[in-house]
Amino acid sequence: MDRLIRLLASASLVLIASVASFYVARGQRKPFSAVAPAYRSQGPEDAKVTIVEFSDFECPACRVAEPPMRALLKLYDGKVRLVFKHFPLERMHFWARRSAIAAECAGKQGKFWEYHHELYDHQEEWPNDKFEERAAGYAKKLKLDAAAWDACRKDPAMDAAVNADVKDGENAWVGSTPTFFINGKRFVGARDLAERGSPFVEKELKK
Amino acid sequence: MSKAIPPSAGVAARVIVGAVLVYAGAVKAAGPSEEFALVIGSYDVLPREMVRTMAVFLPWIELVIGWALILGVQLRVAAVASGALFTGFLAALIMVQLKGIELPNCGCLGDAVHFTPLQACVFDSCLVALSWISWKSAPHALSLDSWAEGGYTGHTHGKR
Repeated sequence: MDRLIRLLASASLVLIASVASFYVARGQRKPFSAVAPAYRSQGPEDAKVTIVEFSDFECPACRVAEPPMRALLKLYDGKVRLVFKHFPLERMHFWARRSAIAAECAGKQGKFWEYHHELYDHQEEWPNDKFEERAAGYAKKLKLDAAAWDACRKDPAMDAAVNADVKDGENAWVGSTPTFFINGKRFVGARDLAERGSPFVEKELKK
Repeated sequence: MSKAIPPSAGVAARVIVGAVLVYAGAVKAAGPSEEFALVIGSYDVLPREMVRTMAVFLPWIELVIGWALILGVQLRVAAVASGALFTGFLAALIMVQLKGIELPNCGCLGDAVHFTPLQACVFDSCLVALSWISWKSAPHALSLDSWAEGGYTGHTHGKR
């Protein structure tokens, strides 16, 4: 009997320690800001559904998520708000931060989404040593003020803006891109967005 | 055979394996299961309907085995379980390499540590070896097993 009690006490200790470790790790979670500059948001501010997307322009999975996201925004036009947050995975993607800053500077001239589309639609052509040439080419195509756009890219504030988004992503425990928060609920990857995200949007809109 | 392994080496081995499992389990259990599901799914070794369930339960399995090793509860069972777990991870990594799949992250220690496939294979192999040492050196005085059995006798209770 004494042995049984000791065995049960030992097993209980293992379970208690496991639950305690879970709570200690969970305590590392921090709140994150879903706010982004107006030029990186689209859709009405009072929309019933807000999608916060953490994305990386050089990430192939993010490009794959573009068509379902554009289809979703078209389908629920005026009912859904999309907020874009930069999350360049620099460990794998050398050109990710530069492209984020290039898009950010296009945003300063009111063309963030157009530049965003250029980067994703031509992802196969710019993440290489031709980046500068291609990036400037997209800026020219969108009729951006080249001098202002160039000066903006050298502004440390742009780097800081990307860093702030990365910090938000880290606080939200974003580990992969694209990660979407639809009214706070997390969806990871293009397939998750298409399979679970779209029905969730539908459900939220019916509420 | 167990006499060949110094008791201190046995304790060190099981604490190292246990600590790795507790860290990996806690980070993944507390983190978003969607992230871990994406990593498990990218291995392409489990049916899709099992991936999300695995993403929720696997971290807890790691936590329980990890603490059982550290505290010395059902030490032999825990050592076998950890050895099986790391052998399974190793097999999955090798399968992924053979299939030519590029993993975004091995999922070994959550998102905090990123191993290359080769590093992950070496890491898992070391942990399999340490699990074996833990199994070989059990039972041990510094364990709740010996307390539950009413004290460490220095014998292996005729189990080996």
